[in-house]
Amino acid sequence: MTRILRTFRFLVIFVILGLTTGCWDRNEMDDLALVMASGIDLTEDGQLEITLQIALPTGIPSAVQSGGSGKKSVIVISASGKNTSEVTGKLQQQLSRAIFFGHRGVIIFGEQFARHGINQVVDTFTRFPESRSNSYVLTTYGGTAKEILNTPYQLELIPGIGINKIQSSKLSFPVKIDEFLNALSSQDRSPVTAAIRVINKGTDKETFTIDRAAVYHRNQLSGYLSSDELKLLRWWTGRGHHLRFTVQVEPENEQYGGTVGVELLQSGMKMHLVIKNDLPEIKVSLHATVRAIDNDSKLDLSKVNHMKRVETLLSKKIQSEAESMLTHVQKVLKSDIFGIGEEVHIEYPYAWKKMKDEWLDIFPEVPVTVDAHIKIERTGKTHSPAHKEKTD
Amino acid sequence: MKMKLKGIQVFWIILIMDLGMTLVMTVTPSLQAKQDAWISVIVAGGIATLIALLATQAAKLYPGQTFFEYIHLILGKWIGKAVIVIYLVQWYTITPIILRQFSDLVQVMLLHGTPKEAVMLLMIFVIVYATYAGGIEGIARCGEVLGPIILLMIGLVLIASTNNIQWRNILPVYADSGMTGILGGALAPASYLGHSVEYLMFAAFLTQPRKGALYTFGAVLTSVFFVLITTLMVIFTLGVNLSSNTWYPFFEMTKKISLFGFIDNFDAIPVVIWLASVFVKFAVMLFLMSYGTAQFLHVRNWRNLIWFIAPVMFVFALIPQDVTEATSNYLQRYWVPFAMPVNMLGLPLLLLVIGKWRQRKWPAAADHA
Repeated sequence: MTRILRTFRFLVIFVILGLTTGCWDRNEMDDLALVMASGIDLTEDGQLEITLQIALPTGIPSAVQSGGSGKKSVIVISASGKNTSEVTGKLQQQLSRAIFFGHRGVIIFGEQFARHGINQVVDTFTRFPESRSNSYVLTTYGGTAKEILNTPYQLELIPGIGINKIQSSKLSFPVKIDEFLNALSSQDRSPVTAAIRVINKGTDKETFTIDRAAVYHRNQLSGYLSSDELKLLRWWTGRGHHLRFTVQVEPENEQYGGTVGVELLQSGMKMHLVIKNDLPEIKVSLHATVRAIDNDSKLDLSKVNHMKRVETLLSKKIQSEAESMLTHVQKVLKSDIFGIGEEVHIEYPYAWKKMKDEWLDIFPEVPVTVDAHIKIERTGKTHSPAHKEKTD
Repeated sequence: MKMKLKGIQVFWIILIMDLGMTLVMTVTPSLQAKQDAWISVIVAGGIATLIALLATQAAKLYPGQTFFEYIHLILGKWIGKAVIVIYLVQWYTITPIILRQFSDLVQVMLLHGTPKEAVMLLMIFVIVYATYAGGIEGIARCGEVLGPIILLMIGLVLIASTNNIQWRNILPVYADSGMTGILGGALAPASYLGHSVEYLMFAAFLTQPRKGALYTFGAVLTSVFFVLITTLMVIFTLGVNLSSNTWYPFFEMTKKISLFGFIDNFDAIPVVIWLASVFVKFAVMLFLMSYGTAQFLHVRNWRNLIWFIAPVMFVFALIPQDVTEATSNYLQRYWVPFAMPVNMLGLPLLLLVIGKWRQRKWPAAADHA
């Protein structure tokens, strides 16, 4: 008995040692092509074109030899075909290293592709085990994803990481792939992503900027929000960090532009909802405390009545901007990117059951009113412009 | 050589058998109740407590005797044998399924290229060794070490996920699913949490059989608590739209964890939970099968049966074609409609009723036996 046990013990140890070396799924770093960002476009003949931005380890200078060695730190490759697996198969044939998606931080949909409909591709983002739900999704505004991925970015060695950092900072409108797919798969909310575009095209200062939002109707891109509308969308969705607004407080004259610029400190949104005649009615209130950043007017912000005036004007301006954004989203884009359906779903679940299948047809007709309350909390180090000529 | 179990060891064994696999395998089926899956888990917890109650009370009737011994006293020779066969079928089928689910998960989530035979063999060798060398006592000691680690890991995942919480995901409560949805969602977790039925077998090895019931209840309630919190967390962090279509929402939740910008990809932690749970559960099952079969066939040394059962389990585990067959079909065609009502609820109840009745009618005879 003990002899059997001892033999068995040794046998087990040897077998386990043999099996746990992990040679089957061994992945050496220098056998992997690390995809940092990928883009999907639709070619003119209706095929899918996938572009990968792959980190090039030899192009990344080490700490010792840092500073413009002039080598490229990424390679960008594209191929087209019928579906994702076919295209990645083609891309793999161009590479000596295995394509690895585990570090992909950015996914970009080309405008044409997004307008055509994204269903044929998105399955792979949840099905493929290497895909991470923490990747950010963006849509291009004009141009293709391929162009974006070929655009250099000066601050980071790898442009894909640049986009990722912009999105993960609080200063942008970040949408992760799982949030996007969640909105896509639910009836009470429409998907929206940030929109990216190339600026200074053709010059040596060419780079990208993320200053718009792409709005989807079901699985198709239906239009874009302008930069000003994007600011309000960020406020609405609780990403109002460091947003800046400018308001005209007096008519422009020789000395002054007559504007006051503020930055949001704390912001929020409250939605009130009632159901009347089987239709929801929505009241939205946007509220924020702000600090003054610049004052290009005669007003003295330390004076209560001057400050009140700025607050009222600012509130009015925000209110009218929000109203025009709502009209744009409801009547033109017809997509519920605000999650108003979600609010109805939560507050009136039984009424929602009746309208959920036609929600996107009902939504454009839903009356929404907005009001804005803005308080100036800090005015900075000065009360009135300090450089102002003293008249007395 | 008589094996002995302490009460706390029974606690950890049942806790691990209940918890680890329920977390990983049954969140998806319970999500048919949508955002009310957590209510399903509470219902499932009720069913599991009932199962624990029946099992512990039935085991109390003849303390010190194994299930296979006293079942003859209660039901007579032939019906007793039939009932034993029903339990053996349960154990003989669940074990290859556990093994297959284990290798499926490892393959789907981690080692895409490794052949499943290698993954399974590794597990089988460890388990055979543990069972052969230690018996239930050895497994129980492993459980004592692994149990707290499992709880710690689950706690870690839950705490690290708190900054992904979206409170609104839980709303609206009840309206979307309704009674049928909630009850339907409760079946799968209830059937996994019902593993306290194996207490019928452990009871014989307890040093203090009377206290065993308490530890069993403790184990069931603790696991229900953790499953409940985890289900809530999955709903809060992932929402129900996407997670109901993934095989392992618990894993998806850990994939979303990102702390301070540099702690990412917690995937390794649920793997620890998973490996430890599968190890303990499989080892317990292997022991029960070998020991039970030995008593059933009157084989003197139960250890000899391991050499037969382990290879058979390995071959059986290769039969299912893919994840669907191993996980969903078995769960929905056998485990929920048959094993739960018959093996976990019906038969323990029958044993309890008839056993009580017999002891009252012939108290002396019962004492003799």
